[in-house]
Amino acid sequence: MTTNIHDIHHKQKFRWGQLVLGICLFLFTMFCLLPILLVIISAFTAETEINSTGFTYFPKQWSMDGMNAVLRYGSQLRQSYLITISVTVLGTFFGLLVMSMFAYSISRKDFKLKGFLSVYLLIPMLFSGGQLSAYIFFSKYYGLKDTLAVLILPLCVSTMNVIILRTYIHSSIPDELMEAAKIDGAGEYRTFFQITLPLMKPSLAAVGFMMATAYWNDWQNAFLFIDKAELKPLQLLLINIQKSIETLLNNKNIPSSALQAMGNAVPQYSATMATVIVVVGPVIIAYPFFQKYFIKGLTVGSVKG
Amino acid sequence: MKEFLRNTWQHRALVVLALPVFLIMLFINYIPMSGLVLAFENFDYTKGIFGSPLIGLDNFKFLLQSKDVFQRMLKNTLMYYVIFTALGQFLNVVLAIAIDQFAHKRFGKYMQTVMIMPVFVSYAAVQFIVMAYLNSGTGIINNLLGGSIPFYRKPEYWPTILTIVKMWNGVGYGSVLYMSVLAGIDTSLYEAARIDGANKWHEIRHITLPSLIPMITVMLLLSVGGIMHSDTGLFYQVTRHTSALLSTTEVIDSYVLNAISKNSNFGFTAAATFFQSVVGLLLMLFANFLVNRISPENALF
Repeated sequence: MTTNIHDIHHKQKFRWGQLVLGICLFLFTMFCLLPILLVIISAFTAETEINSTGFTYFPKQWSMDGMNAVLRYGSQLRQSYLITISVTVLGTFFGLLVMSMFAYSISRKDFKLKGFLSVYLLIPMLFSGGQLSAYIFFSKYYGLKDTLAVLILPLCVSTMNVIILRTYIHSSIPDELMEAAKIDGAGEYRTFFQITLPLMKPSLAAVGFMMATAYWNDWQNAFLFIDKAELKPLQLLLINIQKSIETLLNNKNIPSSALQAMGNAVPQYSATMATVIVVVGPVIIAYPFFQKYFIKGLTVGSVKG
Repeated sequence: MKEFLRNTWQHRALVVLALPVFLIMLFINYIPMSGLVLAFENFDYTKGIFGSPLIGLDNFKFLLQSKDVFQRMLKNTLMYYVIFTALGQFLNVVLAIAIDQFAHKRFGKYMQTVMIMPVFVSYAAVQFIVMAYLNSGTGIINNLLGGSIPFYRKPEYWPTILTIVKMWNGVGYGSVLYMSVLAGIDTSLYEAARIDGANKWHEIRHITLPSLIPMITVMLLLSVGGIMHSDTGLFYQVTRHTSALLSTTEVIDSYVLNAISKNSNFGFTAAATFFQSVVGLLLMLFANFLVNRISPENALF
């Protein structure tokens, strides 16, 4: 009887605790969500309203002007999308390929050179020449200014990602499998490409998503090395938005009737927010589909193999 | 040695597989290390790194004499490191425990998805969100307060603002690691505690927290290696590198980035970078040494 009462008491307290906990978690969720929501709302708020009463979560006047202006007259935006997508796709696939090759190589136990290669992999994590020196080498000695390569190469190999891939090979792909392939007469290349690489898929998805995000969001390399308009990625467009919007909405591109409909002025604020949506949107939409993988990748990366 | 060579030759396929990363790292990471010599040169872009005259320690003298500039960015770098690490780790752990204790798993999962989202918003985009809140004419905060605080001209507000932005950005993401540790705790421990009459607080204090401590220690120690480096986007983009705010927002990384983009002050910048690299290396070695003593399986090497 006494245990029973104790039980009920415990449960009741438990529920109150859950309610408070739920409210706290919900508040933090809103703290995370509201800034993103503001971007979406203000992209569709009438420019006149933002100008007169400021940004708001509850606009009285909705408008498509900002979005229209950005999408319809933004030839630079289209070009930048093309650049960002190319860099992200090329960089991610190339990086995954070369990094998993390296990870496979240093995961072979009877390979004596792996000690040296592991140290070689680790040193850049401890020591670097710094931004300034990298800038001078890339621009003066490698001639990488205004090339796609400068947007791809600096981000395609990272020590941490190779370690994640190697740890995955160690922990999740049985050695016997690869030995069996060798006994059956498969060479090192075939073993890697036909046995190991396909089995690495979960870790490739995790690392691939993190890489793709890093490529998509990278602005620093473009900021330092890209001047040509046709090579500007999305993030750079965003950084120079004030200038971009003027060029984007260069008056000669806009028919005067359309300009009149916009109140004879470029919708600065709403167009900026519309650009933010267009730039950030794809990653935010893609992320929930990869959440499972990248959480796993994050977890694996923290445990040394 | 002979055996080593034979082994390498025997595994030449593995050497070929390792080659692309080897070359990329050689050009991207290793060769630019030689550029640290810039710190001892009077650099002239046309003469290059290897043709510019050596001037000994003059750049460092300059660095130490320009008290306000270097000291200011060093102070800011360290200050933000301490705030972000202490508060960040604390909130990561609290959030991980909160989500773990929350009984409605599915609802908790949805909320977690939203909490991780901000980490994917680039700082180039974040600056406009911050502006929508803080602008003096149109910002939401000023409208709510009914006043007009010129945030972009008041450096004293920015440590708080940047801390809020950083926590918004990183706490959801940072808690994932701790949640995976919590998921690994043996549930029979909790059952045993409950039979012994423990309530939730006792459970958290005596089971949950102790099992997180190794990971917390490791993460803290490993972060020590990154003291000299900051989230450049946060300091450069979100503040829009406004000169009125530099006294509380300029860190070494953002100073260097600005100097490069303006092509100015290479000697001073080179000395600052040299300092950053060497101190970073020493701290990293020290941190790894400590991790090795506490929990060798988490050490980097």
